[in-house]
Amino acid sequence: MGGIVIRVRSFGKREIRSIELPKRVMVADLLKRLDLNPQTVVARVNGKIVVERERLADGDLAELIPIVTGG
Amino acid sequence: MLKCSFCGRRAVYDRKYAGVMLCDRCMIESVERRFRRAIAEHGMISPGERVAVGVSGGKDSVAAMHMLAEYCRHHRCELVAITVDEGIKGYRDRSVPIAVENARALGLEHRIVSFEDAFGDTLDRIVKLAKSKEPEVNPCTYCGVMRRSLLNRAARELGADKLATAHNLDDEVQAIMLNYVRADLARLHRLGPAYEPREGFVPRVKPLREIPEKEVALYALLKRLRVHLAVCPYARGMHAEIRDFLNGLEANHPNSKFMVLRMFERLKPKLAEAVPRFEPRRCSSCGEPTSTRICKSCELLEGLGLKPIPANRAAEK
Repeated sequence: MGGIVIRVRSFGKREIRSIELPKRVMVADLLKRLDLNPQTVVARVNGKIVVERERLADGDLAELIPIVTGG
Repeated sequence: MLKCSFCGRRAVYDRKYAGVMLCDRCMIESVERRFRRAIAEHGMISPGERVAVGVSGGKDSVAAMHMLAEYCRHHRCELVAITVDEGIKGYRDRSVPIAVENARALGLEHRIVSFEDAFGDTLDRIVKLAKSKEPEVNPCTYCGVMRRSLLNRAARELGADKLATAHNLDDEVQAIMLNYVRADLARLHRLGPAYEPREGFVPRVKPLREIPEKEVALYALLKRLRVHLAVCPYARGMHAEIRDFLNGLEANHPNSKFMVLRMFERLKPKLAEAVPRFEPRRCSSCGEPTSTRICKSCELLEGLGLKPIPANRAAEK
């Protein structure tokens, strides 16, 4: 109880999914929950690029941009 | 709000290996400074030279092209762009228009060369044929060899003095590790920021070599460059495993990638003694420079029963 809900959108996709997390979580915690290495992703929260240590708030929209493209 | 260690503005990047946070402006300046420092430290480009840049439309090559365009404006150099269209449906056909758009916006001469024109077939068809003979074949073996050959040929035909590629720190460290795992001493020894001049080869330079992939990506995003952000459908196998391993290592132990690079740089001068000297020859099939009777591209094509590049199409310098 008492957690927050973050809306998450993968880069270039329209669908938004909601993820419930404990209060005072950081972007890094969200990435961990999604099994994403911070080395391979840039996080944009509410339209702004943020560092992984930035805290998330209830209702935030996080967009995760994969930057390892290969080839 | 987390703040930039240098100016106090809102931070966009946590550079863990250096223990600093950077805002958008300081991040862009830092990347551009490293790019210019690499060129200066390794004498990659001299004033007045004609520089070719390989540009796929991806974040690294588009960022490199924009930085090189700025650099060349200030150093009386001429920049030309080369795009290799390997023929990867759903991937390269989407990135080439982005390369074209960026080159046009910068007012650059731009040459697009394709596997189909140079080798008679697209990579998709070459891979299909190769897989019918050997199901476990790695498409990167064909793509890497043939793309390098075609880039060099195009740069030579364009009269370039240097060929800049957008290899970043991650690419370089992955290549070092891959050559270790494959015990390929000759290729390991050849790696470096700038390749020594060899007959028939346009010297290659890598101005992004000391910039981590994530920082190049952030640069492209912060500068709002139009780039193609998609994963190559063929990117798997050992190379991808090494990439994931290094990213895991860096996440838990910041600075690991730079340490691998620095250790390699200390070892490199000693490797020269163990590597046989390169005897320049011409491929008997296509005329491209090689150290063996036929070049690797022709060897791969012949192995598939395909016709290698006609000799008269290989331009002489």
